Amino acid sequence: MATAMSRPLEYLEGLPGTTFYKLYQQPSTALAIFRRMLPDLAKCFVMALLYLKDPLPTADLELWVNSDSKKLHILQTTITGENVRAYRVTDPFASSLRQALMGAEDSQSFGVFSQVPDENPVSIADLDEYARRQWEGVLGYMVGTSALGGPRDVNLSKGVKQLLQAGHLVEIRDRRVDITKDGFGFVLQDVSTQVWHILILYVESAEAIGMDSVEVLSFLFLLSSLELGQSYEKKHLSSGQLRTLTDLADFGIVYQETPEATRFYPTRLATTLTSDSSALSNPVTGSLTGPTGTSGGSGSGFIIIETNYRLYAYTSSPLQISLISLFTNLKYRFPNLVTGKITRQSVRRAIELGITADQIISYLLSHAHPQLRKHNAAHATSNTAGIPPSILPPTVTDQIRLWQLERDRLRATAGFLFKDFTTMAEYQAPCQYAAEIGVLVWKSDRKRMFFVTRHEQVAAFLRSRK
Amino acid sequence: MPRAVRGLLIECDPSIKSMILKYDEERHDYIVEDLDDENHLVIKESQLQNLKARLDQDLDEKIMQLEESESE
Repeated sequence: MATAMSRPLEYLEGLPGTTFYKLYQQPSTALAIFRRMLPDLAKCFVMALLYLKDPLPTADLELWVNSDSKKLHILQTTITGENVRAYRVTDPFASSLRQALMGAEDSQSFGVFSQVPDENPVSIADLDEYARRQWEGVLGYMVGTSALGGPRDVNLSKGVKQLLQAGHLVEIRDRRVDITKDGFGFVLQDVSTQVWHILILYVESAEAIGMDSVEVLSFLFLLSSLELGQSYEKKHLSSGQLRTLTDLADFGIVYQETPEATRFYPTRLATTLTSDSSALSNPVTGSLTGPTGTSGGSGSGFIIIETNYRLYAYTSSPLQISLISLFTNLKYRFPNLVTGKITRQSVRRAIELGITADQIISYLLSHAHPQLRKHNAAHATSNTAGIPPSILPPTVTDQIRLWQLERDRLRATAGFLFKDFTTMAEYQAPCQYAAEIGVLVWKSDRKRMFFVTRHEQVAAFLRSRK
Repeated sequence: MPRAVRGLLIECDPSIKSMILKYDEERHDYIVEDLDDENHLVIKESQLQNLKARLDQDLDEKIMQLEESESE
């Protein structure tokens, strides 16, 4: 959860206050931020303060504990009549959240249902399948699954490819798509983190193509509050929102029959954006990663690792197989299963590609088979020691980390060595100066030598003392 | 008269440092300055890739490997 949340949260925290003022005009945004971005404790505070008429004195709130909500411009400090510093929930946020909670008429903030039923309604299973195909198409484009003979029935638009390139997730060299180090990190993340990553890239690039990033952002929050399996009217959307909608359809976040259709369906990728359901038990992860065609229930991981480093992955998805093969020596492939072994060579190969041990471990963790979870949870309860239960065999995770450390046997810093000082006094002054300006990396008083990353200022300092 | 020399400061285990010293004995083409403590030395900037490759190769040979069992 924490990792899934951190990136959108970081991005939002960096926005200026005026952006928040515009964002919080929409009840759907206020609710989405409240549901997804705030830690539980902060939710408590907001709820407690929301219906208070008067600001709460700071002293009273600090009795409860400090809160971070100020960064998202939800709480503000004011001075009450009696000159006491106090907190209150900021205005557009408060009124929007109240509206969202209590329901208000004729608000289009949560989308407008299609009045006329669709002649060929799209079922939830169809939507999941569409989202899965599009999203795997995007990931497949990045890792180049075509080499494995995967189906290439997904046509990615130029916009998608440009976005991936702008986010430095892929590079185009000689018309070939090469995945970058960031890209490797990206494909190994869980789906909701990936979706957020892409969406933030999208918002960031929105300004460049002449769209208002605030409008795009609040539209994303709107999408996240829609209901799965319902179709929504497009005629209430602005032209910018329609454009966003078409772009998001390429990623499988929304579905529309044609760009000209009058209605659209949000897919599970959209509706789980700001929900509290964790990515692990999130059905879309299952349907995205699980074998094609099976409807994944909750917690549908597919990877089993044994303490002897053998790995069994119940999947037939070419994308997942090629991801696993990044750090595993695959041996056999069956219709619904691949097996292999994590070896020193295979991990080192991955590390040379720029994948870190932590990325491998978090990938394995988020796709661990329910059986693996069950087994280790049961194991942990019988084991009364206060060690948190680990889903993956600790020997394997430790060894993957050790294999990574093996690569980093030396650390190199480029710079300049100052030496041949005749007296201690002559040595000490520039050495101290280098430390003060923050370029000193290493020094030896005994040998009267020191190493700095930049020499210009230190050299000037030496000259000036002559 | 103090001097400044360009180079790469290397921080490593004593074991790695002794391997680098050994390589340098052959042609004296790695080390700019041996810093006389257990885990630092300064080397030529141009030699880093070469040194890393050589270390990796030698470590691969020297570190005891569990034979990868091929029996399934």
